[in-house]
Amino acid sequence: MLEMFEYEFMQRAFIAGILIATLASISGTYIVLRRYSLMSETLAHSALVGVAVGLVAGYNPLWMAVIVAVISAWLIEYLRSSFSIYSDAILSILLSGSLAIAIIIVSLGGAFNNSLFSYLFGSILSVSSEDVLTILIFGSVSLALLIAFSRDLYFIAYDEEVAKTSGIRVKFLNYLLVTVVAIIIALSIRVVGSLLIGALMVIPTVAALQYRVGFLNTVLISLFIALFSVIAGMTFSFYFSLPSGATIVLCVISIFIISLVINKK
Amino acid sequence: MSLKFKVPIFDVKNLNFSVRGQEILSNISLEIFNGEYVAIIGPNGGGKTTLIRLLLGLDKPTDGKIKLYGKKIKNFKEWHKIGYVPQRASLVDENFPATVEDIVKMGRTSKLSFFKGMSEEDKNAVKDAMIKMDVLDLKDKMVGTLSGGQRQRVMIARALASSPEILILDEPNTGVDMVSQKRFYALLAKLNKDENITIVFITHDIGVIADDIGRLFTINQKATICNNPKETLSCEDMSELYGIEAHLIHNHKHEH
Repeated sequence: MLEMFEYEFMQRAFIAGILIATLASISGTYIVLRRYSLMSETLAHSALVGVAVGLVAGYNPLWMAVIVAVISAWLIEYLRSSFSIYSDAILSILLSGSLAIAIIIVSLGGAFNNSLFSYLFGSILSVSSEDVLTILIFGSVSLALLIAFSRDLYFIAYDEEVAKTSGIRVKFLNYLLVTVVAIIIALSIRVVGSLLIGALMVIPTVAALQYRVGFLNTVLISLFIALFSVIAGMTFSFYFSLPSGATIVLCVISIFIISLVINKK
Repeated sequence: MSLKFKVPIFDVKNLNFSVRGQEILSNISLEIFNGEYVAIIGPNGGGKTTLIRLLLGLDKPTDGKIKLYGKKIKNFKEWHKIGYVPQRASLVDENFPATVEDIVKMGRTSKLSFFKGMSEEDKNAVKDAMIKMDVLDLKDKMVGTLSGGQRQRVMIARALASSPEILILDEPNTGVDMVSQKRFYALLAKLNKDENITIVFITHDIGVIADDIGRLFTINQKATICNNPKETLSCEDMSELYGIEAHLIHNHKHEH
C-alpha cells in the first residue's frame, strides 16, 4: 500500500485531498443545514469561469477560480437577501449562466483540451506543489474562520431570525460563510473536479445526519466520512487507474448508502 | 402605577407599516415597561406578528418611531436582554442535529468570544435555564424526538439562557396539548412574578391567562390598549376585534 507514496505526485495529492476533505465536510455541514446544498454546485460551475479565464489568459487557474467563485457567492447572497426570488432558482440561473460563460471563453480561446478536462473531473496527477501551497494557505484561513464562528453559524443555521434578535451579526456571517465555501470549492476542483465537488461537500453531512446525534458529533462523523472517502478513493484511483474525483464520489456515496441502511427507522 | 416616570423597554410612537400599499398596522403607539406582563390578541392577519417583528428590528416600519431601552433599534446593542420565541419555534426540523443542550447553549452564543469555550458563568446560565423550564433531564435528547410541549419549554429555555429582562413569545403553542399548555402558562406567570422578567405574549388563549396578565393589547391594524383586561374585555370588544359575534366563556374559577 505504501508504494504509492514513493511517487511525489501522490504525496501532493494526498496532502491536498486530506485538506480538501476536512474543509469541504466542515463547511458542508452549514451548507446542508441551511438548505444551500445546490450552492456548492453553482459555485463549482462559477469557479470554472475562473479556470477558463486563467487557461485562456495565462493566469493561475486556481487563483482565478477562487476570485470568480467568491464574486459569484456574493452575488448569490445579495440576490437572495435583496430580491424575492426563490433561492434555488437563483442558484439554478447562476449555475447554467456560469457554465455558458465558461464554455464560451474556453471555446473563443481555443483551450478545449486535457487541461480543462482535469478541472471538470479532477486529476490527482495534476496537483502541483504550487497548488498544495495555495490550498494550504487559503484552507488554513478558511478553517480558522469556520472554527471561530462555528457557534454563530450553527445558530444561524437553526434559525436566522432568532439569531439576529440575539445580537448575532447575521448578514456579515452569511457573507463570510458563502465566501469561505466559495474558496473551498475553488480549491477543491483540482482534486475532485468541479462537476463532482458538490458531492464531497454535501454527502458526508447528509450521511452523518442519519446517525441523529448532536451538532459536534455530526460534524465529526461528516469529517471522518469525507477523510475516509478521499483516502480510499485516491488509493483505488492509484491502483486501478481510475479518475480520482469519480472514485472519491463513489466511495462517499457508498458510505451514505450504508449509513442510510443501518439507521433505517 | 407610576409607569410614566420610567424609561420603557419598548416605546412605539405613531407606527405605520404597509406592504405594497396595503396597510397592515396603522398609527400604533404603545409602551411596555419593565416587569409587565402584556398579552397581545387579535385576529389572524391583524398584524400581531408584524408588530413583534417591527419591535425586534426584523422588519422596518413604513413610518413612526420605535425605541428599545430608549435607543433607536439600529443603535441598540444589548440584544441579550431580549429573549424571542417565534411562532414556528415548536415546529423544529426533525433532522436538525441538535440535542436539547445544543439548543439551550445557543442562547449564550452572542456573549461568547472567539475560540473560547463556555465559562462557568455561561454553563450555569444554561443549566439554570434548563432547570427553570424543567428540561434538564432531557439535555442529551435530540430535539426532533421531543413532544410539542417539551420542545416549547426547550425553546423558552434557549431564550432564558441569555438571562433576558424581557421575553417575547409569539403563540408558541402549535402542537402542544392542553395539560402542557397549562403548565406552560404557570411557568410564564412564575417567571414574571419571581424573576421580574417582562413578558409579552401573543396568544389566543386570553381566558386562561386573564388572571396573570397586567395589560392587554388588541391588535387589528390598529391597537387598543386595555389597562384592566379583566373588567374591560367585553363581548362587544371581542366582536369588534374579530369581526364576528363573540361570546366570552367565563372561567368559573375566576368569578367572585
